[in-house]
Amino acid sequence: MNTPSATAGHAATPAWKEWLYTTDHKRIGVLYLIGSMAAFGVAGLMAIIIRLEQMDVGMQYISSGTQYNGFLYFHGAAMILAFLIPGLTGFAANYFLPLMIAARDVAVPRINAFSVWLFYFAIVLALLSFVIPDAPDIMWTGYPPYSITTAANTSFYVFTVHLLGFSSILGAVNFLVTVIYMRAPGIGWNQLNIFTWTTIAAFVLQLIFIPVLAAAVTLLLFDKYLGTHFYDPAAGGDVLLYQNLFWFYSHPAVYVIFLPAVGILFEILTTMCKNQVFNYKAAVYAGIWGIVGIAGIVWIHHLYVTGMPDWLRLGHMVTTLLISVPVGILTLSMWGTLYKSAITYNTAMMYAVACLYLILIGGLTGIPLALPSLTIHLSETAFVMAHFHFIMALFAAFALFGGIYYWFPKMTGRYADGGLATTSFWLNFIGVNVTFIPLFIIGVEGMPRRYWDYQMFPQFDGMHEIATYGSFIVAAGMLLQFANFIYAAVAGKKAPLNPWNSQSLEWTHTQSPPGPGNFIDDVVVDENWSPYNYNKD
Amino acid sequence: MNTDAHASAHAHHWEWSWAPMAVVAGVFFLVPIAFSGFFVYENTLMTAVGAGVGVILILAGVAKWVDEGLTQVPLISGVANIGLPIFILSEIFIFLSLFASYWLMRLGVDSWPPAGTPEISKTIPLIMTVILVSSSLTMHHAEAKLDHGDRSAFNKWLIITIVLGTVFLGFTAYEYNHLISVGFIPSTNIYSTAFYSITGFHASHVFVGLGAFIAVLLPSLGGRTNKTFVTCVSVYWHFVDVVWFFVASQVYFW
Amino acid sequence: MRLLTATITMATTAMLSTQAFAEGNLANPPAAWEELWNTVMLDITIIGVILAVAAVWMLFKFKATSPEQVGTAKKLTAVQAISWALIPAAIFMADDFYLAAKGWTVWNDYRRVPENAMEVKVTGYQWYWEFEYEDGTVTDELVMPVGQPVVLRMTAEDVIHDFGLPHYRVKEDVMPGRITYIWINPIEANETIVQCAEFCGDAHSDMWTSVRAVPQAEFDAWLSASAEESDFDIDEWKASWTKSQMTAAR
Ligand code: HEA
Ligand code: HEA
Ligand code: CUA
Ligand SMILES: [Cu+2]
Repeated sequence: MNTPSATAGHAATPAWKEWLYTTDHKRIGVLYLIGSMAAFGVAGLMAIIIRLEQMDVGMQYISSGTQYNGFLYFHGAAMILAFLIPGLTGFAANYFLPLMIAARDVAVPRINAFSVWLFYFAIVLALLSFVIPDAPDIMWTGYPPYSITTAANTSFYVFTVHLLGFSSILGAVNFLVTVIYMRAPGIGWNQLNIFTWTTIAAFVLQLIFIPVLAAAVTLLLFDKYLGTHFYDPAAGGDVLLYQNLFWFYSHPAVYVIFLPAVGILFEILTTMCKNQVFNYKAAVYAGIWGIVGIAGIVWIHHLYVTGMPDWLRLGHMVTTLLISVPVGILTLSMWGTLYKSAITYNTAMMYAVACLYLILIGGLTGIPLALPSLTIHLSETAFVMAHFHFIMALFAAFALFGGIYYWFPKMTGRYADGGLATTSFWLNFIGVNVTFIPLFIIGVEGMPRRYWDYQMFPQFDGMHEIATYGSFIVAAGMLLQFANFIYAAVAGKKAPLNPWNSQSLEWTHTQSPPGPGNFIDDVVVDENWSPYNYNKD
Repeated sequence: MNTDAHASAHAHHWEWSWAPMAVVAGVFFLVPIAFSGFFVYENTLMTAVGAGVGVILILAGVAKWVDEGLTQVPLISGVANIGLPIFILSEIFIFLSLFASYWLMRLGVDSWPPAGTPEISKTIPLIMTVILVSSSLTMHHAEAKLDHGDRSAFNKWLIITIVLGTVFLGFTAYEYNHLISVGFIPSTNIYSTAFYSITGFHASHVFVGLGAFIAVLLPSLGGRTNKTFVTCVSVYWHFVDVVWFFVASQVYFW
Repeated sequence: MRLLTATITMATTAMLSTQAFAEGNLANPPAAWEELWNTVMLDITIIGVILAVAAVWMLFKFKATSPEQVGTAKKLTAVQAISWALIPAAIFMADDFYLAAKGWTVWNDYRRVPENAMEVKVTGYQWYWEFEYEDGTVTDELVMPVGQPVVLRMTAEDVIHDFGLPHYRVKEDVMPGRITYIWINPIEANETIVQCAEFCGDAHSDMWTSVRAVPQAEFDAWLSASAEESDFDIDEWKASWTKSQMTAAR
């Protein structure tokens, strides 16, 4: 433990200071949770405006195309960079990874605090785009030359990415060191929780690929404000350089989201099924690390219609299809975990079951997109958009929400389950299907992305309308859900220390919520221990 | 693995420090706010306030952080020795991206350097290389002195290193100044684009390294050092030195 | 392992042979697209249904009957564990290569321009399209004679656009500093649209125009009329677009 001498008189420290200036990983985790949910709320509101605007042909609620573009920019950027990545690698990893390996904190707690504040100031910067003149309208991808020639303030986009990227890199360093050096005595590599493995894998991806994104956007900043020519073909630069650098990061980034989500799913499944992970070693070494291995060589599938050389497009078609091998092995482990199990249903498990469905729809619709000969039509349509909402916005977000229900008793000492939880689950689940399935259908017919108007396609009006009603259902579900969380945190039913009878260390060895230093006694395990040891014979 | 087996004997309490938040707030004002003030909104007041508030917050935060770092026992020791190289891995990738962009542009044109490039002195980068390499040696020497418990020699060699680093930056400033005066500015052509971006990015690393040295030196003059911290700044400095070979060879000589 | 090598060899030969087969006859990419789409949909539906049915069955079958009940699955033996990794991996790979081979063939249809194709130059601007025919005529819509393959050589003046033809199941980016191409084969008379499919700012969703396939005679008449017709004023047309910060900025 850090000695408190510098912060003398800690006994009298006011609670707000202990929270605001905290360096404790659990409290930092809670700060991440609050920030990422706030980002989700605001970006979700933007989604509702987007859906309202697309409900009918012509201009409805916005005053110009640029305004729509500003909303869509915020929606995409905030959902990915400020909701899912911080929610999964910030909140979930921060709070639970040290507990799962029985560490007393992360390796460098102050740098952890540094990371969370970088995240908060990035959100502030992103939110400022609503008040500044010329808010960014460049989409979350920020392609030049548009992002350079536009009058909008691209610099806020660049700096948001910088702050979040720096935050993630430092987090990655911190957590990698923590897992390597701070596992409790006896915890071997093959005894780690799947969540721990997926998180390290995600951090390895962040560490290697974020710098490339940082370079991409920095050069954008230089081009726009210092007059350099990296992306300027007239002077010998190349407009596609940006896209290559951007997707070299942003494809792996989807696995930064996907992997921890899968990890949470495994934690819920094993606990609620009281079963071990089916084929643990294959899941870890072929599944998780297979994805990491292949993540860096498929990015051209986002450039299938940019005139890249044919051999690159076809080569990346093959590598992209091959992602289904590691993901498929992980999928089999999930399915296998259900086999001969003893399933208890509760809200967390309902989200987990929904995830099994979402990973199939979202993942399998990636397969047609992997073929350039199909994507030559599908690219930039609502089909792509429905694909990534299913796998990312729904699968990963549902896993995160499931994780919140699962760990709620640990964080608050109370259950979040109940009538409100069940109702909001069903509203969310039905709502997202009503929203995004119609978009698959019109996407195949040619409905383009990033269109606030579709005069040329009046026949899509009906489907858009259904999708918009779907989004209202989701909005109602989400509102109920947040109401439920807040209610449950203060007045929910009291939960015992290990309400689900889990074997994982965060449940078996800590208080709810764990105090400073996490563990009352030092944790030591032997080689027969496993977080999934339910069937003792 | 967990070095604080005795920890359970301590009464646990919530840890806190305002230093990290102060530094982040400082970065926020110094970088996005001041930059936008200057380049986007062309508002002097916004720029000055952003930069002023930012610098103060960063200095206060770093001072507090260093102070705490020197008085507190870390949870586990020696992790910085592995943490820093992991971080450097990340830095390597950012330099790789820059070099990749540079070569992509360079190989895409017929003649190199492109029109509008003045004669760029090759002596200056040579002198700079010598300076930076010597500074790595002096830093290594300083570290060795500290290992032998010779603090005043450590301080002396550290100061020499800082001076060398500053001279290095002085040369950069001189060179930039000269080139700009002959009309070679970032927007001149794709070579100037890459030249200023890459050397400038490297120079910013030198600058950060110098800042870290000063953060080590000041407490050390008062008799306080932290072994891990010294190792870290030293490794970082060697990294910045090694990168310079790649920068100089590709940008000036290749 | 033997299974693995076998699949790879099989898939490679499949790939090579289908490729050879694709040469010769004049391709019809949209039809090939539909066929490929149906194949892929069938493929992923089978996978999806198998897994979904398995999941639903297990979710009902293995409900706990008492709170103390635990799962009874045994730890896999080494042989079982390896088989459960390698065999599925081989099956997934076989499917991947099968799809890759199919996709590769159709890709060749899309990229191999027929010898007799008519060239049309396309330029994208914020926010309109401009077409230039072989005789130098410049128009604001794309008209083609039925049965005449057309190759579009495309570039852009300002930012990246994308020439998207949903009816012909094809699109490709159009950008400054590069020339890209697509080709289409208008086999029957019809009227469809081209729309911009890459985000390009304020009026991105209004950047569309008509694409018509007409009988040869009608085409000839249209082309000569367009050549003379001077009432199309590009500046006037530009002015009719939503005023945006963009145009102001440039
Ligand atoms: C968490 C996020 C996430 C994840 C996990 C994925 C996963 C995948 N994605 Fe997706 N994708 C996005 C987020 C994500 N994607 C986003 C955000 C975009 C759009 C970005 C933008 O332009 O704004 C996008 C766009 C996108 C494109 C570009 C389309 C275009 O713009 O033109 C492509 C093309 O190949 C693609 C493919 C895939 C594939 C093949 C997978 C695979 O990983 C899926 C693998 C999973 C399965 C296949 C299912 C389970 C496996 C089995 C059941 C085994 C058996 C299966 C077989 C043998 C087939 N995605
Ligand atoms: C994690 C990622 C994520 C998530 C969760 C979502 C969620 C949603 N998205 Fe989005 N979306 C993206 C990522 C995501 N999206 C990305 C990357 C793009 C591409 C951007 C681009 O093109 O550049 C995109 C684009 C996109 C479009 C395309 C627009 C276009 O191309 O023109 C649409 C249109 O329907 C849409 C809709 C929705 C809807 C209805 C939801 C709903 O599920 C949202 C439901 C949520 C709410 C309704 C919030 C309700 C909660 C509250 C109100 C609680 C209050 C708050 C607190 C208490 C804190 N999204
Ligand atoms: Cu042009 Cu979009
Ligand atoms: Cu991708």
